[in-house]
Amino acid sequence: MKLEKMGVPTAPVVTMVFAELVKKVAYNGGMPNKRFTFVPHPIVAVPASVCRDYLQGNDPITGKIVIQEIIEALTKPLTEPEKKVGFLERAEPRLLGPDTAGSLQNLFLKNGWTDYLPIVLPTEEKVAEMLKGTSRKPDEVVGKMQASGAHPMWSYTVEKVAVNAVMAGAKPEYFPVILAIASTGVTSLFTSTTSFARAVVVNGPIRNKIGMNSGIGSMGPFNHANATIGRAWTLVSLNLGGSGMPGVIYQGSQGSTVNYNNNCVPENEEALPSGWEPLHVQKGFKPEESVVSVFSGWGIGRADFNRGGIIHVQIPFFLQTCSPFAGATLYLDPLVAVRLKEEGFDTKKDLVQWAYKSSLIPIEDYWNKYQLIRTFNLPKGEKGVEPYASWLKLPKDALKPRFEKPEDITVLVVGGGTNPAWQLGDFKYIASASVDKWR
Amino acid sequence: MRKGINWSFIGVFLVASLLVVYASQAEEAKITVLNPRGAPPPIHLIPMAPRLDTLAGKTIYIVDARFPDTYQLLEEIQRLFAKKYPEAKWVLKKKSGAYAEDDPKLWAEIKEKGDGMIMGVGH
Repeated sequence: MKLEKMGVPTAPVVTMVFAELVKKVAYNGGMPNKRFTFVPHPIVAVPASVCRDYLQGNDPITGKIVIQEIIEALTKPLTEPEKKVGFLERAEPRLLGPDTAGSLQNLFLKNGWTDYLPIVLPTEEKVAEMLKGTSRKPDEVVGKMQASGAHPMWSYTVEKVAVNAVMAGAKPEYFPVILAIASTGVTSLFTSTTSFARAVVVNGPIRNKIGMNSGIGSMGPFNHANATIGRAWTLVSLNLGGSGMPGVIYQGSQGSTVNYNNNCVPENEEALPSGWEPLHVQKGFKPEESVVSVFSGWGIGRADFNRGGIIHVQIPFFLQTCSPFAGATLYLDPLVAVRLKEEGFDTKKDLVQWAYKSSLIPIEDYWNKYQLIRTFNLPKGEKGVEPYASWLKLPKDALKPRFEKPEDITVLVVGGGTNPAWQLGDFKYIASASVDKWR
Repeated sequence: MRKGINWSFIGVFLVASLLVVYASQAEEAKITVLNPRGAPPPIHLIPMAPRLDTLAGKTIYIVDARFPDTYQLLEEIQRLFAKKYPEAKWVLKKKSGAYAEDDPKLWAEIKEKGDGMIMGVGH
């Protein structure tokens, strides 16, 4: 669209599964009538002969001959709608109804405003109650969020976050935590065909004040605050960040169950071995501050049920399951943390540094076996961007650390101490935000 | 005797009707809720660029968006178009950087030296 604005006619060619997405992006970008040509999907690794057939065949969406459609996109005179200028406002009404509760539940469901689980209808009374959880004014802007870099930024107020917090079933005392998450501007429903997931960790006194569970079953469906705070982030991302609409905005080919709750957990700070700092302190906050931290990745797997032997030597083995494009977040049961301290890791930093240096990947594998490395890092290296440019010059039999930097590995202590097991997420830290600011 | 029976039935009927009306009113109680949706920015409509009246003598850039392993489609576009529309010049170029990255240098080149652009193709 940039070239169109510069006065150069363009003819984009797109694979058919992205038809609704590109039309939406063009619409949001101000060219609702942009001329696209579609070819079958996928094109990745499809032989040239098949590509030729696609070009000489029919556009699977419009039915036109592809090669002619491309020429037409460049040469057919503009229609009146294609020449239009002006603004399209997209205001939404503040209130919905009046209608029966059943009809409103169906409305929310039909419009894709929920996670398809029943919601608490956000009546004015319930939203007013939620707003008592903060001293901030209802019309104050909390932040801006977008489904991806290609999509517009939506802005949202304290009241709008409250509406979604009510829908999630949260209590007013949880609201500052939800506002803090919303203030990061990070969507939990980032759109990519790779099916991103996000994770959130809560630190500080707020965890116990609102009754979060960092012990037995912390990462499971056993606590109201853990469940509804995580869910609220999903609803905020859906309704206030412009995500959702599978096939139009959201493109995750498989999706992720993590999206329901974003693995919302409080760190078990009380179970940290001496010298091991809570996450928020590692990020520069004071221990007495309450903080949320958000992460980006794709999923969580169980790493081990170690009962004997040395624990730390297993860590690089399991880190091999993380793409070098991602990060790694180790959710360690307190029993594992104690053992690692006994094995010589006096601080979380010691463990992270060791894990970083011990998790190596052959450079050939790094450049050739990972889709996202080839898509994003290889072009950067070819452009001369460091450290990728230097990595491109490494000998073919070289080994390098799997992750870009030690900070891409996070260590948390979560769980009830009944089994020295741990879980591994390929989550990379994004940002932290103060909860106290939103009280 | 007939009158007594009629009053009983009428009484029962009235009570039953009231119960039905009351029940249906309770079921159909209506409420107002707040809209959960946020505010997308207004859309600024931008006119598309004027189209080419002819391909003759024109230079059309064919740009690879740099999604891995899709370059072969762009090569085929160049091959086919050069054969079918020899009156135009078809210049094949790879955009620099990853597919989501901007390439202002290339856009400036196309603006200066080109008359149109074909671009593809994600995935």
